[in-house]
Amino acid sequence: MGLVRLSVVVPLYNEEDNVALLHRSVSDALSSVGDSYEIIFVDDGSSDRTFDIARDLAREDKHLKLIRFRCNCGQTPAMVAGIDHARGSIIFTMDGDLQNDPTDIPAFIEKIEEGYDIVVGWRHNRQDKLLTRVLPSKAANWLIGKVTGVPIKDNGCSLKAYRADLIKNIPLYSEMHRFIPATMSLAGTRVAEIKVKHHPRRFGVSKYGLSRIYRVLIDLLIIRAVILWSARPILSFALAAAFTGVMSMLLLVYAAVDAAASGLDPSVMLIGLALMFGALSMFLMALGLLSQLIYETGNGRSETFAMLTARASPPVAAAKEGAER
Amino acid sequence: MTTNPNVSVVVPMTKRHDDVISLYREYKSGIESTGRSFEFVYVLETHFEEQRADLEKLRSEGEPIRLVVLAKSYGEGTLLSAGFAYSSGDLILILPAFRQIETSEIGAILEAAFGSAHMVVGRRYPRRGSSFNKISSKIFHMLLRSMLEFPFRDLGCSVRAFKRDLLTELRIFGDHHLFLPLIAHIQGFKVIEHDAAQAKADTRTRIYSAKMYIQRLLDILTIIFLARFMRKPLRFFGLVGSVTLAVGGAATLWLIIERLFFDVPLADRPALVLATLMVVLGIQLLAVGLIGELIIFVHARDVKEYMISEIVERPSEITVTESSADEGATLTRLPQKDAV
Repeated sequence: MGLVRLSVVVPLYNEEDNVALLHRSVSDALSSVGDSYEIIFVDDGSSDRTFDIARDLAREDKHLKLIRFRCNCGQTPAMVAGIDHARGSIIFTMDGDLQNDPTDIPAFIEKIEEGYDIVVGWRHNRQDKLLTRVLPSKAANWLIGKVTGVPIKDNGCSLKAYRADLIKNIPLYSEMHRFIPATMSLAGTRVAEIKVKHHPRRFGVSKYGLSRIYRVLIDLLIIRAVILWSARPILSFALAAAFTGVMSMLLLVYAAVDAAASGLDPSVMLIGLALMFGALSMFLMALGLLSQLIYETGNGRSETFAMLTARASPPVAAAKEGAER
Repeated sequence: MTTNPNVSVVVPMTKRHDDVISLYREYKSGIESTGRSFEFVYVLETHFEEQRADLEKLRSEGEPIRLVVLAKSYGEGTLLSAGFAYSSGDLILILPAFRQIETSEIGAILEAAFGSAHMVVGRRYPRRGSSFNKISSKIFHMLLRSMLEFPFRDLGCSVRAFKRDLLTELRIFGDHHLFLPLIAHIQGFKVIEHDAAQAKADTRTRIYSAKMYIQRLLDILTIIFLARFMRKPLRFFGLVGSVTLAVGGAATLWLIIERLFFDVPLADRPALVLATLMVVLGIQLLAVGLIGELIIFVHARDVKEYMISEIVERPSEITVTESSADEGATLTRLPQKDAV
């Protein structure tokens, strides 16, 4: 499929102390597997010497490609840029902070070749601060598992391997990279988890904090909505419209019965409420139609996911040969 | 084929304008002081007949002027876009059709733009003129600064110089030419301000129509929304919607409790309408936010979120795009199997 077998994408942001070490350890790990690999460093607008160091490395190493951003665009865009430029049939992503161990890579390749679409690392002995890093992450993973129904132990581990044709065709934006496994398993991909080594940070400072929880929650809601709706977007809007519509009808009936029983004019308040909910129902229905329109014109259709994750057995004649073997 | 000039000066003819010929000569002498080659592109709408005749006269005298006449009025942003399309210089300098800064300052701004910055914007400093204009400009900048990372102090100054490469990279949101420096800044370009003395003619009080101020305010809101929430509409709609929904829900609940346990009659209380209306509005806002997310989701792969400034790799690498013959000898090109 790809021009090379493996691509390793590493977003870098102010990692001047780690770049050279990272390059060496990744190269060592990859060259033990074979020569058909490439490393893609994406410098996300670093303000320190990250780019200069990486540039010198890239001039020496034919396996290394360096992409520099004009600004600090964010980690997900950095990954997307790397993935867009990757030519491997298996694409790895990892962080540039040396907390992941490249020697785990062969195990990932094995899993992908077993037929999994995504292999996710699981940092079973995390080397981070308990209160600000490990606990929030545990809570987030639990929540993501609950919401998506796919219990992945460690969504935050950035060492992951993907089948290239899948990851290249998946909508990836904003800060969605954290949810790739969850998103993908909702879309029906085969996700495998393997334990990875995890080192404490040696140089530089961590770029995360507690503040991301709100954003994680919103993003999670979006992913669930978007993926679950992708088959029939109008459905959930129609359900909400039906619910409010029924409420409106009930109120109307109640107002009518009430008026008949008491012999007075129907209550303005009740009729008003009923009409308001009726309007809401119409509005939601209109949005449902709109969502259908958006899906029809866009490229995020459920069929795309279905085709991406489909596995067909070989054509009939070939299958026979395979059986004889 | 003629060689391209160093500088293309784009002048959009606006309602506010000074005498064309004398201003042209002033601008020209300012640019000539840098020793760079240049051309002028004037963009006019058809009704500026007088100005057009003046410019034609200058042209016939051999001045390097290109005239672009638009058949209909589409606003200043369109004038500028048309001017860019008909310009050919490596550097584009936008100058207003009226005296805003002292024309002698143009040379310095131009030289700054040939430096490392991608864009140089003029800043009228020291700012003189009426306190009314100063205050309205202050409010305008304060609004932007409160919501965005906003390093500019005089967006009202129309003098801007930038490198031609920016044109292909800048996504201009509609008719928001005023915010060009801000958009460039958001997209990671280096934009610097350059102080320039304010022209005397610019110091008198100008009061625009109310429509103009409302337009400005809407522009600011649009820019803030696009810059902050373009990729995450639900963060905005979700917040506003859930707050409205929560307040409305709580109020409704309170009214119901009052009715059930404290025997406060509910039927003729306007508070009920307000509370329910808030619930309805909250749901609508959330739903609109979700629709926004759907749009982003299905088009996510069409819009690039990153801006690459350069790609470094060893020249003899196995790239597909570069196939120079002298390097081809040493490299081992991998067989390209069925690359679907």
